[in-house]
Amino acid sequence: MSVLTCVIESMGSSCSRPHSLNEAEAAENAKSADIDRRILQETKAEQHIHKLLLLGAGESGKSTIFKQIKLLFQTGFDEAELRSYTSVIHANVYQTIKVLYDGAKELAQVEPDSSKYVLSPDNQETGEKLSEVGANLDYPLLNKETVEDVRKLWQDPAIQETYSRGSILQVPDCAQYFMNNLDRLAEVDYIPTKEDVLHARVRTNGVVEIQFSPLGESKRGGEVYRLYDVGGQRNERRKWIHLFEGVNAVIFCAAISEYDQMLFEDETKNRMMETKELFDWVLKQRCFEKTSFMLFLNKFDMFERKIQKVPLSVCEWFKDYQPTAPGKQEVEHAYEFVKKKFEELYFQSSKPDRVDRVFKIYRTTALDQKLVKKTFKLIDESMRRSREGA
Amino acid sequence: MASVAELKEKHAAATASVNSLRERLRQRREMLLDTDVARYSKAQGRAPVSFQPTDLVCCRTLQGHSGKVYSLDWTPEKNWIVSASQDGRLIVWNALTSQKTHAIKLHCPWVMTCAFAPNGQSVACGGLDSACSIFNLNSQADRDGNMPVSRILTGHKGYVSSCQYVPDQETRLITSSGDQTCVLWDVTTGQRISIFGGEFPSGHTADVQSVSINSSNTNMFVSGSCDATVRLWDIRIASRAVRTYHGHEGDVNSVKFFPDGHRFGTGSEDGTCRLFDMRTGHQLQVYSREPDRNDNELPAVTSIAFSISGRLLFAGYSNGDCYVWDTLLAEVVLNLGNLQNSHDGRISCLGMSSDGSALCTGSWDKNLKIWAFSGHRKIV
Repeated sequence: MSVLTCVIESMGSSCSRPHSLNEAEAAENAKSADIDRRILQETKAEQHIHKLLLLGAGESGKSTIFKQIKLLFQTGFDEAELRSYTSVIHANVYQTIKVLYDGAKELAQVEPDSSKYVLSPDNQETGEKLSEVGANLDYPLLNKETVEDVRKLWQDPAIQETYSRGSILQVPDCAQYFMNNLDRLAEVDYIPTKEDVLHARVRTNGVVEIQFSPLGESKRGGEVYRLYDVGGQRNERRKWIHLFEGVNAVIFCAAISEYDQMLFEDETKNRMMETKELFDWVLKQRCFEKTSFMLFLNKFDMFERKIQKVPLSVCEWFKDYQPTAPGKQEVEHAYEFVKKKFEELYFQSSKPDRVDRVFKIYRTTALDQKLVKKTFKLIDESMRRSREGA
Repeated sequence: MASVAELKEKHAAATASVNSLRERLRQRREMLLDTDVARYSKAQGRAPVSFQPTDLVCCRTLQGHSGKVYSLDWTPEKNWIVSASQDGRLIVWNALTSQKTHAIKLHCPWVMTCAFAPNGQSVACGGLDSACSIFNLNSQADRDGNMPVSRILTGHKGYVSSCQYVPDQETRLITSSGDQTCVLWDVTTGQRISIFGGEFPSGHTADVQSVSINSSNTNMFVSGSCDATVRLWDIRIASRAVRTYHGHEGDVNSVKFFPDGHRFGTGSEDGTCRLFDMRTGHQLQVYSREPDRNDNELPAVTSIAFSISGRLLFAGYSNGDCYVWDTLLAEVVLNLGNLQNSHDGRISCLGMSSDGSALCTGSWDKNLKIWAFSGHRKIV
């Protein structure tokens, strides 16, 4: 039956029979009205929740921030959740040693002083064995024997030499931490600690969300937040970013320590340049016209250490950087320079009508729980103030 | 053993060789294609389809979503519609009365697609959770009115952009994903029956946005992708695509088989729709809008549908326009975006009812609208 015919017929009928709608129609109308009521109720109930979206290039620290929030403002991880990270952490160990072993082989081929990267024959055999394990997606758990193998390899001078060149390979940041804790990780009754979990690297598959209240939900005036991490999508952001139109704030994570590193997805591309492009792109998205931006200049601890050895100017964006004096002052000077670059980029990329959206920069070290807590307190104040002002 | 540098060189050389072969192929096709559908039809003296602005009217506006509408699907039998919105809900509507029969609050609110099962008893949806969730509409809702999921199909490594049940098969469903693959699922077991693309060569090289199953031969389906191509697949042979169709210059957002099953239409970010011949791979027609006076970028085509005879091609655009194209003569006969009661925002999805008497459009203005054929012509 064609749609229009039905419309005409029902129009006629509701005019002439105002009181005797048949039962089925009445029930249908009631159900529909019920649904409308429920939707209205649910929408109202959520209006006060601040929605925050975590964005940033791969390995910018988004997931670590996410985990920190969980630890700080929720009940943290219970034992079952902690245990669920064991296989991930063990996999990280295999992945790390494989990257280093493969890296040493590659450097031995392409570097002029190749002998530095050649392992002892014994270790080569171990390396091949471990590399095989790392090649499958289903990693076995670590045990005493494999840990011995991993440690032997880690201590080989060629591997250490390779590790020092970590920035041109894809050596994960957690490498040192896990290698230093190998025995504990391989214990039979090993339960990951919170710190272990914070260091663990796992690719989430879709989007994760967490609801929290910095002051505790029972406290009056306590703001409620919902944080989304879409880190797991390795594809075209432009195809889904508009789903997030209407979030209250975007938390953009930029790992400032990666100015000398290349992308995992494309080893010819500098990570900082990628972050710069991404930030620029996000700022220009129509769906974020009215959204507040919180920029986290993250991995400050690693930045601090690196700046002493590797000049900022190796990154094209920072090529006009002039160092002043070595030491602590240099770190502050370099940080302020980077911060200024991001500020300039923000104002360049924001159309005149957007310049009054909220934009704040925070220096963070995602692994430092106290700092993250402090940062969120500041954000909480800022969001409350802007809500009151609105 | 070849060094990394040598391998990179070989790869670059192979890519250059593929690109030059592709260019030669394109030039050859152009030579062979001496006309397109429109020019041929006009030469044959075909008259344009007569269409008045009053031939298609907005007879219903479905209001209720509190967020942008992203996807819709009609039931094959009754006139029910399921819609998915950024507010994290699926709503099932009775299109005739515009009453809501179900509202399902999703666990993951970032939903991008929804579809009705052939028997109209279940709906499927998917999105940023990289999974496809199935709901049986007959299940009991809990106290808060929430409906339980009957199955979640997991396995994709990226967002689920679209899903379609295999016609007449309640138990099989095809999804397309941001992980560059399409997957054929067995809904009863939750298993992946076949994976199209991904590790196998000849798969898409970028996010897949849309699928359309050939209703004349349900073993075949086409998929459109951000790699600007459409690929034809035989579900019995997952290891390689049957054919790849080039022509678009941007993301292919929407693909739909033509009613006779020998051709299919596409809609793209490049602002055009195209008609391709399935068997030969020829691009039969391009449906291209006039550039606007200010020479701004053409609005993107977000979704397409054919009328029941195929004479009309409906195309929804990112600026809220909804063109009705005369498929044969490649002329726009109507812009629903200019009519009274039209949408206030991007048209994100549209679909033809199974009896061909009505078109439903969904928009970022949070509404759905039903447009029915009126006047002397009920169905085209």
